[in-house]
Amino acid sequence: MMVKWLIDNWLKITIPVLAFLASYIVGLWVRRVVSNAFERWASRVRWQGSKVVTTALHRPFLFWFLILGVFIAIQVSVATSQVKGITTKAMGSLFVLSLGWLVINLCGQLLKTYLPRLKANWPTITLAMNVIRATLVVVCALIILEIWGMPTSPLLVLIAVAILAVALALRNAAPNLFAGFHLSATQQIKVSDYIKLETGEQGYVTEISWYNTRIKALDETIIIVPNNRLLQFTVINYGRPLKKAKDPFRFRSRTYIKELTGLRAKNLMELVDTLKKVPDSVIYYHTHRFFEEHHYLIPEPSNDFAVWVNDVLGEEILGERLASVNTFEFPSLGALRERIVVIIEEHLAGGTNSREAMPGREFCFMKSVSVVISTPYVAHDLREFVEALRKISLGSLYFHVFESRLRLGRGLNDFTIWLQDSLEEAELGDEIARLDPYTYTLEGLRSAFIQLIEKRIE
Amino acid sequence: MGRSTIEELRLLASRLSGKVIQNINSTFTGGGVAEILSRVLPLLEQLGVDARWNTIKGSPDFFQVTKKFHNTLHGRREDISATDFALFLEVSQQNIREMELYGDIIFIHDPQPVTMVSRKKEIGRKWVWRCHIDVSQPNQKVWSFLEPFIVQYDAAVFSAPSFSHQLPIRQYLISPSIDPLSDKNKELSQQMIDSVLEKYVIPKDKPIITQISRFDYLKDPVGVIQAFEMVRKNIDCRLVFAGGTASDDPESERVLAEVKERAGGNPDIHILLVPPESDVEINALQRASAVIVQKSHREGFGLTVTEALWKAKPVVASAVGGITLQVKNRFTGLLSYGIEGTAYAIRQLLTNPEYAKWLGQNGREHVRYNFLVTRHLRDYLLLFLALEHPQDIIYL
Repeated sequence: MMVKWLIDNWLKITIPVLAFLASYIVGLWVRRVVSNAFERWASRVRWQGSKVVTTALHRPFLFWFLILGVFIAIQVSVATSQVKGITTKAMGSLFVLSLGWLVINLCGQLLKTYLPRLKANWPTITLAMNVIRATLVVVCALIILEIWGMPTSPLLVLIAVAILAVALALRNAAPNLFAGFHLSATQQIKVSDYIKLETGEQGYVTEISWYNTRIKALDETIIIVPNNRLLQFTVINYGRPLKKAKDPFRFRSRTYIKELTGLRAKNLMELVDTLKKVPDSVIYYHTHRFFEEHHYLIPEPSNDFAVWVNDVLGEEILGERLASVNTFEFPSLGALRERIVVIIEEHLAGGTNSREAMPGREFCFMKSVSVVISTPYVAHDLREFVEALRKISLGSLYFHVFESRLRLGRGLNDFTIWLQDSLEEAELGDEIARLDPYTYTLEGLRSAFIQLIEKRIE
Repeated sequence: MGRSTIEELRLLASRLSGKVIQNINSTFTGGGVAEILSRVLPLLEQLGVDARWNTIKGSPDFFQVTKKFHNTLHGRREDISATDFALFLEVSQQNIREMELYGDIIFIHDPQPVTMVSRKKEIGRKWVWRCHIDVSQPNQKVWSFLEPFIVQYDAAVFSAPSFSHQLPIRQYLISPSIDPLSDKNKELSQQMIDSVLEKYVIPKDKPIITQISRFDYLKDPVGVIQAFEMVRKNIDCRLVFAGGTASDDPESERVLAEVKERAGGNPDIHILLVPPESDVEINALQRASAVIVQKSHREGFGLTVTEALWKAKPVVASAVGGITLQVKNRFTGLLSYGIEGTAYAIRQLLTNPEYAKWLGQNGREHVRYNFLVTRHLRDYLLLFLALEHPQDIIYL
């Protein structure tokens, strides 16, 4: 029965089969010809994407001729017009799907090849691919619906509404998203860069996401900056981190209250006798008070003993000798006290102790009670150190430079000790140690330190 | 005032969390102490420190006696009888009985409530005596009477180094301060200044020399008029002497009458009695002045000098008490010791306006760094913290 049907209708079967096979063979031949021509052109223009295109086109090309073969076979067959119509739509849909798949695949491969050259990072590539994929899927879906004669207008309206809703929902986030894409693509700011915004935020970049950038500030807090602000405001990018210290420098600050000892001297003999027995903190106070109280206007290294001897006792020669005692030269308060005592005793040995202070103008011995407090500022390298130096209070600067060296008996200022011991910046440490801080105002001293460190960073 | 200053104050204040500071003095209005407390306490509150204020009660007789104490502690000769001491102790006992003492730190201001410390043995707590007056050369009789009370405190606070004595307790130096945003110190428009001058009928035709102070012998108002008369011989100028009275100072009316009499009918001398709430007017008078004088015989600190320096005005002031902390001679102002010296210094400034301007600017910077209310707040916080830490270097 079956054989008889085949004998009666062999021509109706053979023609579609032959048409299908012919399409397949032509497809194989065309693929080879096109592929060879494309490779010759690509090798002539030295296009790196040629391999990607060749690989991507290899399978779909044959698949398209298979679809063409099926389409022709059905058309030349004795099938009903209804079957032919459905087959045409099905083949058209398959073609659109395969074309869409090809384009998605091709775009992905090309983006992988070219975005790294733009120094774009992996999240950028992923986002770009996802956007392209989504767009192509929507376009393919619309074409296929069109092929099957289904109305696309409602879907288009739905898509438009969805886009509008997303745009409204992301109206604040969108600028940050685009800014994030821009930052990522251009690599103007990268993770580990030290940046400073004109609005004051600064620190090392720890993470750049699509919406915001995280910065580790000098006080070790994390600042989250919306990406859009990084494009809107001026940002100074100091670049990659510098050499890390073994131990971070933790800035402290110092404030003080003045304590009265109740001891007074009305002449030189009483002055020198009391000087010998008062605690070191009294010597420290009277050799630093004028500087602390008038640091804003003039660097005045004069000590209280010199001022009192000169202004109240009128002993100008002794006043000058005491004023010329260079506090910076002394490694300890004991040595400083000894020098002051020797100068007064030498003067007394000359037989002059007749002058007395008028009542109310006696020398009143005082000392300071220092209260040392933590600050939030921490430096792990020179960049953080110099930026913290710009921010710390004058009390903090004073503590690390004056109080630690002489009152706490460290012999050197804290900055030098850290630079030498923790950062192996011996030369810079020496330069800072050589600066005589008593000849600057505190703000002047801050500037001098910053200048030295900036020079070293450069 | 920088961010770091505020951060520092907040950090110090946080260490006093949970403690109550009870301030006790003799009056809510008039005089430097009331002014300082009314300004500092709200700021301490803002920093989270629970600071409160009570006053003792007293009859007019009691305040007559405390005024005598005040004068004699300043070094003035005055008779104080055994009856006076007895009255002082009697009223003090009444206050000791009636006053509720709830503070963790009890902060007593000036001699009037000094005996409150008698309850220390009973209730414990930390006690601080804050002396706002110049006790560099006190009447020994009065000082000896007060000393047994003072030594019971944990600490004493003075406004100038020369006020300290050899005491078995810790003594601190805390200078008073001004609030740059207060009515007395804020910037004023020229229109406002002119309107105040018009109100008090002070023409602007000549340089104005001004002393702002209570009508008090210790402020030497007659000496100021004498110095002005010496200057007036060579330079055409005006004198404005403006001040008020305090509720705990029964003497001021008499001084005012004497000053008016001494001024006579001189149209260039303006004696103005201004009520306590006239801060803007005082501010305007200071700003309208060419030179500001503070010719005190004794001075606890001299906040009027601080106010003048803050306004960048050249100042001539006596080298007494806390004034020497503010006026560094020939650097932030001119110091004088007598009427002639004051007249000479005023002449110097009136004839050398550039020099006067330079001194004024230096004075303003000196106040900015050392005598503004933020420094005062910091000192109080440190004082309260130091009560718990005996060492010279405290790590918080």
